[in-house]
Amino acid sequence: MAFLSHQPLSIDVLLELDDHPECGGLALFVGTVRDEHLGRKVTGLTYTAHEAVAARLIGEIEERTREKFGVPYCRIQHRLGKLAIGDLAIICVVRAPHRAEAFEACRWAVDAVKHDVPVWKEEFYADGSSAFVEGCCIRDDFDDDPAHRHGHPHEDLKTA
Amino acid sequence: MTAVTFEFFANVARLAGTSELAVETGAAATVGEAIAALGALRPDLAGAVDACACVSGDAIVRRRDPLPADRRIALLPPVAGG
Repeated sequence: MAFLSHQPLSIDVLLELDDHPECGGLALFVGTVRDEHLGRKVTGLTYTAHEAVAARLIGEIEERTREKFGVPYCRIQHRLGKLAIGDLAIICVVRAPHRAEAFEACRWAVDAVKHDVPVWKEEFYADGSSAFVEGCCIRDDFDDDPAHRHGHPHEDLKTA
Repeated sequence: MTAVTFEFFANVARLAGTSELAVETGAAATVGEAIAALGALRPDLAGAVDACACVSGDAIVRRRDPLPADRRIALLPPVAGG
Protein backbone atom coordinates (compact mmCIF):
# COMPACT_ATOMS: atom_id res chain seq x y z
CA MET A 1 0.00 0.00 0.00
CA ALA A 2 1.28 3.44 -0.89
CA PHE A 3 3.06 5.64 1.63
CA LEU A 4 1.98 8.75 -0.29
CA SER A 5 -1.39 9.43 -1.88
CA HIS A 6 -2.61 12.09 -4.27
CA GLN A 7 -6.17 10.94 -3.53
CA PRO A 8 -8.15 11.48 -0.29
CA LEU A 9 -6.95 9.17 2.50
CA SER A 10 -9.11 6.40 3.93
CA ILE A 11 -8.64 5.30 7.54
CA ASP A 12 -10.50 1.98 7.52
CA VAL A 13 -8.25 0.17 5.06
CA LEU A 14 -5.19 0.86 7.24
CA LEU A 15 -6.54 -0.57 10.51
CA GLU A 16 -6.19 -4.33 9.77
CA LEU A 17 -8.89 -5.06 12.33
CA ASP A 18 -9.31 -8.65 11.11
CA ASP A 19 -5.63 -9.39 11.72
CA HIS A 20 -3.24 -9.30 14.72
CA PRO A 21 -5.27 -11.29 17.28
CA GLU A 22 -2.38 -10.88 19.73
CA CYS A 23 -3.01 -7.12 19.81
CA GLY A 24 -5.29 -5.53 22.41
CA GLY A 25 -4.45 -1.97 21.45
CA LEU A 26 -4.81 0.17 18.37
CA ALA A 27 -3.47 3.73 18.39
CA LEU A 28 -4.56 6.00 15.57
CA PHE A 29 -3.36 9.50 14.78
CA VAL A 30 -5.04 11.46 12.03
CA GLY A 31 -3.72 14.89 11.10
CA THR A 32 -6.31 17.17 9.53
CA VAL A 33 -6.06 20.57 7.88
CA ARG A 34 -6.65 23.39 10.38
CA ASP A 35 -8.22 26.75 9.47
CA GLU A 36 -5.66 28.83 11.36
CA HIS A 37 -1.87 29.16 11.51
CA LEU A 38 -0.03 31.69 13.67
CA GLY A 39 -3.11 33.88 13.84
CA ARG A 40 -3.79 33.82 10.10
CA LYS A 41 -6.98 32.43 8.59
CA VAL A 42 -6.10 29.44 6.40
CA THR A 43 -8.41 28.47 3.53
CA GLY A 44 -6.51 25.42 2.27
CA LEU A 45 -3.08 24.03 1.55
CA THR A 46 -0.98 22.12 -0.92
CA TYR A 47 1.41 19.33 0.05
CA THR A 48 4.30 18.50 -2.28
CA ALA A 49 7.13 16.02 -1.76
CA HIS A 50 10.29 14.53 -3.14
CA GLU A 51 8.28 11.39 -3.62
CA ALA A 52 11.10 8.84 -4.01
CA VAL A 53 12.85 9.91 -0.81
CA ALA A 54 9.62 10.52 1.10
CA ALA A 55 8.27 7.05 0.32
CA ARG A 56 11.55 5.40 1.24
CA LEU A 57 11.80 7.26 4.55
CA ILE A 58 8.18 6.58 5.55
CA GLY A 59 8.81 2.89 4.93
CA GLU A 60 11.92 3.07 7.08
CA ILE A 61 10.04 4.89 9.84
CA GLU A 62 7.38 2.15 9.86
CA GLU A 63 10.10 -0.49 10.14
CA ARG A 64 12.01 1.35 12.86
CA THR A 65 8.79 1.95 14.80
CA ARG A 66 8.05 -1.78 14.80
CA GLU A 67 11.58 -2.61 15.93
CA LYS A 68 11.97 0.16 18.49
CA PHE A 69 8.66 -0.46 20.26
CA GLY A 70 8.29 -4.18 19.56
CA VAL A 71 4.92 -3.69 17.86
CA PRO A 72 3.77 -5.94 15.01
CA TYR A 73 2.08 -3.32 12.85
CA CYS A 74 2.70 0.30 11.95
CA ARG A 75 1.27 1.96 8.86
CA ILE A 76 1.66 5.57 7.79
CA GLN A 77 0.13 7.38 4.84
CA HIS A 78 0.67 11.02 3.91
CA ARG A 79 -1.57 12.95 1.54
CA LEU A 80 -0.17 15.07 -1.30
CA GLY A 81 -1.87 17.66 -3.46
CA LYS A 82 -4.47 20.30 -2.77
CA LEU A 83 -6.36 19.92 0.53
CA ALA A 84 -9.34 21.76 2.00
CA ILE A 85 -9.99 22.51 5.67
CA GLY A 86 -10.74 19.28 7.51
CA ASP A 87 -9.17 17.01 4.89
CA LEU A 88 -6.94 14.21 6.16
CA ALA A 89 -3.24 15.04 5.85
CA ILE A 90 -1.61 12.05 7.56
CA ILE A 91 -2.73 8.78 9.10
CA CYS A 92 -0.63 6.66 11.44
CA VAL A 93 -1.90 3.36 12.83
CA VAL A 94 -0.09 1.19 15.36
CA ARG A 95 -1.35 -2.18 16.59
CA ALA A 96 0.21 -3.45 19.82
CA PRO A 97 -0.49 -5.93 22.60
CA HIS A 98 -1.12 -3.08 25.08
CA ARG A 99 -2.05 0.59 24.92
CA ALA A 100 1.16 2.04 26.36
CA GLU A 101 3.42 0.98 23.51
CA ALA A 102 0.66 1.64 20.97
CA PHE A 103 0.39 5.32 22.04
CA GLU A 104 4.13 5.76 22.38
CA ALA A 105 4.97 4.17 19.05
CA CYS A 106 2.27 6.12 17.22
CA ARG A 107 3.53 9.42 18.60
CA TRP A 108 7.16 8.59 17.77
CA ALA A 109 6.29 7.62 14.20
CA VAL A 110 4.31 10.80 13.51
CA ASP A 111 7.07 12.97 14.99
CA ALA A 112 9.64 11.19 12.82
CA VAL A 113 7.60 11.89 9.69
CA LYS A 114 7.26 15.57 10.58
CA HIS A 115 10.97 15.95 11.31
CA ASP A 116 12.56 13.94 8.51
CA VAL A 117 10.34 13.24 5.51
CA PRO A 118 10.66 15.66 2.55
CA VAL A 119 7.09 16.90 2.38
CA TRP A 120 6.36 20.62 2.08
CA LYS A 121 3.25 22.58 2.97
CA GLU A 122 2.12 25.72 1.19
CA GLU A 123 -0.71 27.43 3.06
CA PHE A 124 -3.29 29.64 1.36
CA TYR A 125 -4.75 32.49 3.40
CA ALA A 126 -8.06 34.31 3.42
CA ASP A 127 -6.40 37.48 2.09
CA GLY A 128 -5.39 35.65 -1.10
CA SER A 129 -1.71 35.27 -0.22
CA SER A 130 0.19 32.04 0.39
CA ALA A 131 3.36 30.91 2.11
CA PHE A 132 5.46 27.79 2.59
CA VAL A 133 5.40 26.77 6.24
CA GLU A 134 8.84 26.92 7.83
CA GLY A 135 9.96 23.43 8.64
CA CYS A 136 12.71 21.21 9.97
CA CYS A 137 16.08 21.36 8.25
CA ILE A 138 17.10 17.86 7.12
CA ARG A 139 20.57 18.79 5.94
CA ASP A 140 22.96 16.71 8.06
CA ASP A 141 26.41 17.75 6.83
CA PHE A 142 26.73 21.15 8.48
CA ASP A 143 29.41 19.58 10.68
CA ASP A 144 31.68 19.39 7.63
CA ASP A 145 31.59 23.15 7.38
CA PRO A 146 33.11 25.14 10.25
CA ALA A 147 30.99 28.15 9.24
CA HIS A 148 27.95 26.29 10.52
CA ARG A 149 26.95 24.88 13.85
CA HIS A 150 24.54 22.00 13.66
CA GLY A 151 22.12 22.29 16.53
CA HIS A 152 19.25 20.20 15.29
CA PRO A 153 18.19 17.82 18.04
CA HIS A 154 16.13 15.29 16.15
CA GLU A 155 17.14 11.68 15.82
CA ASP A 156 18.66 11.11 12.42
CA LEU A 157 16.60 8.83 10.18
CA LYS A 158 17.97 9.92 6.87
CA THR A 159 20.64 7.28 6.53
CA ALA A 160 18.81 4.54 8.41
CA MET B 1 30.03 21.56 -21.26
CA THR B 2 30.17 20.02 -17.79
CA ALA B 3 26.79 21.01 -16.47
CA VAL B 4 25.02 19.82 -13.34
CA THR B 5 21.23 19.90 -13.24
CA PHE B 6 19.69 21.02 -9.96
CA GLU B 7 16.11 20.20 -9.01
CA PHE B 8 14.27 22.62 -6.76
CA PHE B 9 11.29 22.13 -4.47
CA ALA B 10 8.84 24.22 -2.48
CA ASN B 11 10.10 27.67 -1.49
CA VAL B 12 13.38 27.23 -3.38
CA ALA B 13 11.55 26.40 -6.62
CA ARG B 14 9.40 29.48 -6.06
CA LEU B 15 12.46 31.67 -5.46
CA ALA B 16 14.26 30.20 -8.48
CA GLY B 17 11.22 30.60 -10.72
CA THR B 18 11.81 27.09 -12.05
CA SER B 19 11.89 23.51 -10.82
CA GLU B 20 15.10 22.67 -12.64
CA LEU B 21 18.26 24.52 -13.61
CA ALA B 22 21.36 23.33 -15.48
CA VAL B 23 24.52 25.05 -14.23
CA GLU B 24 27.94 25.03 -15.86
CA THR B 25 30.13 23.72 -13.04
CA GLY B 26 33.53 23.60 -14.77
CA ALA B 27 35.97 21.42 -12.84
CA ALA B 28 33.66 20.81 -9.88
CA ALA B 29 34.22 17.29 -8.55
CA THR B 30 32.01 17.29 -5.47
CA VAL B 31 28.41 18.11 -4.66
CA GLY B 32 29.62 21.05 -2.59
CA GLU B 33 31.66 22.49 -5.46
CA ALA B 34 28.69 22.22 -7.79
CA ILE B 35 26.53 24.01 -5.22
CA ALA B 36 29.15 26.75 -5.03
CA ALA B 37 28.83 27.18 -8.81
CA LEU B 38 25.05 27.41 -8.43
CA GLY B 39 25.53 30.05 -5.74
CA ALA B 40 27.83 32.07 -8.00
CA LEU B 41 25.28 31.99 -10.82
CA ARG B 42 22.27 32.62 -8.61
CA PRO B 43 23.40 34.42 -5.45
CA ASP B 44 19.73 35.10 -4.69
CA LEU B 45 19.31 31.36 -3.98
CA ALA B 46 22.45 30.82 -1.92
CA GLY B 47 20.86 31.39 1.47
CA ALA B 48 17.94 29.06 0.84
CA VAL B 49 20.18 26.43 -0.77
CA ASP B 50 22.42 26.48 2.29
CA ALA B 51 19.54 24.99 4.32
CA CYS B 52 18.92 22.21 1.80
CA ALA B 53 19.79 18.55 1.98
CA CYS B 54 21.07 17.07 -1.30
CA VAL B 55 19.65 13.99 -2.97
CA SER B 56 20.74 11.80 -5.86
CA GLY B 57 18.00 9.40 -6.97
CA ASP B 58 16.42 8.48 -3.63
CA ALA B 59 19.64 8.70 -1.60
CA ILE B 60 20.85 11.58 0.54
CA VAL B 61 24.30 12.79 -0.54
CA ARG B 62 26.61 15.14 1.31
CA ARG B 63 28.46 18.16 0.03
CA ARG B 64 31.79 16.36 0.41
CA ASP B 65 30.59 13.47 -1.82
CA PRO B 66 31.63 13.14 -5.48
CA LEU B 67 29.20 14.41 -8.08
CA PRO B 68 26.53 11.81 -8.96
CA ALA B 69 27.17 9.99 -12.24
CA ASP B 70 23.98 11.39 -13.78
CA ARG B 71 25.00 14.93 -12.72
CA ARG B 72 21.57 15.60 -11.17
CA ILE B 73 21.20 16.94 -7.63
CA ALA B 74 17.86 17.53 -5.92
CA LEU B 75 17.90 20.21 -3.23
CA LEU B 76 15.46 19.55 -0.36
CA PRO B 77 14.58 22.56 1.79
CA PRO B 78 13.41 22.21 5.42
CA VAL B 79 10.44 19.85 5.63
CA ALA B 80 6.94 20.53 6.96
CA GLY B 81 4.77 17.46 6.54
CA GLY B 82 2.20 16.03 8.91
